[in-house]
Amino acid sequence: MELAEISPSRLAAAYLMALVPLAIFLWYGVGLVRRTVIALVRMAVQLLFVGLYLSVVFELNRAWLTLAWLGAMILVADLSVLRGSGLNWRRMGAPLFLALAAGTLAPLLYFTGIVLSLPAVLKPQYAIPLGGMVLGNCLRADIIGLSRFFHALRDQEKPFLLALSQGASLGEALRPYLQTAFRAALEPTIATIATIGLVSLPGMMTGVILAGADPLSAIEYQMVIMLAILSGTALTLWLALWLARRAAFTPWGTLDERVLTETGA
Amino acid sequence: MQILELHHIRLTARGRVLLDGFSLTLERGARCTLTGPSGSGKSTLLRCILGFTEPAAGEIRIFGAPLSPRTVWPLRRKMAWVPQEPELGNGTALEAIIRPLRYRANRGLGARGRRIRELAAHFGLPEDVLGTPVTKLSGGEKQRVALIAALVLDRPLLLLDEASSALDPDSRAVVAAHLRSLEKTAIVSVAHDPDRFPLGGRVVELPVTRQPDGTR
Repeated sequence: MELAEISPSRLAAAYLMALVPLAIFLWYGVGLVRRTVIALVRMAVQLLFVGLYLSVVFELNRAWLTLAWLGAMILVADLSVLRGSGLNWRRMGAPLFLALAAGTLAPLLYFTGIVLSLPAVLKPQYAIPLGGMVLGNCLRADIIGLSRFFHALRDQEKPFLLALSQGASLGEALRPYLQTAFRAALEPTIATIATIGLVSLPGMMTGVILAGADPLSAIEYQMVIMLAILSGTALTLWLALWLARRAAFTPWGTLDERVLTETGA
Repeated sequence: MQILELHHIRLTARGRVLLDGFSLTLERGARCTLTGPSGSGKSTLLRCILGFTEPAAGEIRIFGAPLSPRTVWPLRRKMAWVPQEPELGNGTALEAIIRPLRYRANRGLGARGRRIRELAAHFGLPEDVLGTPVTKLSGGEKQRVALIAALVLDRPLLLLDEASSALDPDSRAVVAAHLRSLEKTAIVSVAHDPDRFPLGGRVVELPVTRQPDGTR
């Protein structure tokens, strides 16, 4: 089975689908027309560039180029996690980059090297989409987990200080805050895993089916990617919080509030 | 041996001087009640002793050792603190008392089940209160739970920040009498009205500090 090609004229026809929401927005004065049009144009331009770039990367098939691509994705994810969770890049930028890199590359290499046993573990056709999926999920979970952790610590400082005064090590005093952060960050992933296939067909599985594979291969890939996402997310958050001990706390064990960019609620 | 030495402490907050040139020493088993108007730096002083805030100037010594990021960790194991309006984290009152006993630094203390029940009974906390989630406790119950959590740690230096403010007069008298009976424990107590929570020892009134520009 071959993937049906979408010619430029047919792609243009696909864009006609956007007329439905635009018409509704216009009719009811929702005020989203401008943003929708900009978003649709951005999507076209961004994906066009990614498509062109990826064809070059796939064509050249060099491990360093794949790594550079992954590195750029991790950097972008790093910046959006920092912005999304209100953290200072000077303090948390480098620790979070390391955490995201390890949390993406470890499950990715396990996937390609051990589960798939590919001869080239960084074959771009596998490494880039799989790495991207793991990273995208890490990003979402890290924003939730890190902002919950640091804001809880700042807003509910008293039990933390009480624990330190009772002789707790920094790790012991942070334990309840870590539990909250992990729960908030990983519960959505666990819920997705628990309902997968019931609510909707997951994106990766759909892609593999569209590419012509049989549904059973598709579910195998889907299961592995969910496992990679789960372990990658947990690993990233754990590592980010572990590295934060040096970056975000004073030697006295108290939260260094300069780690948070905004001072309000 | 001096348990606590404060030398020429200066405290500032948001550009204001709260306290300047304050000194105090406390021997083993001695008591000192700090009093003074709101904003005179009483609570901040306790937080400095615990290493949560650094004084703008001056030196703090605990058991002879200067308080520093390196020494603060072992020194915290010699102190216990009952904060103002304590927040005890999650779980039941009993869990809030037991949790610190599980910290590695406190494992030598054992489970202390009997001591906890004795103190709870003595302070007028019935068994069912110990099983209540801390978020459901009244202010006075929270204070007594926080006091028990501090006392079971058997520290030689006890720091109390308005520790009786939410207690009724009877409980306050029982708690004060118990604290007075602890001969080996040095106590620094912050109290708005020292007569209502008499622990013996000195009463030190923190002054209203004149600002460098002459204002108060």
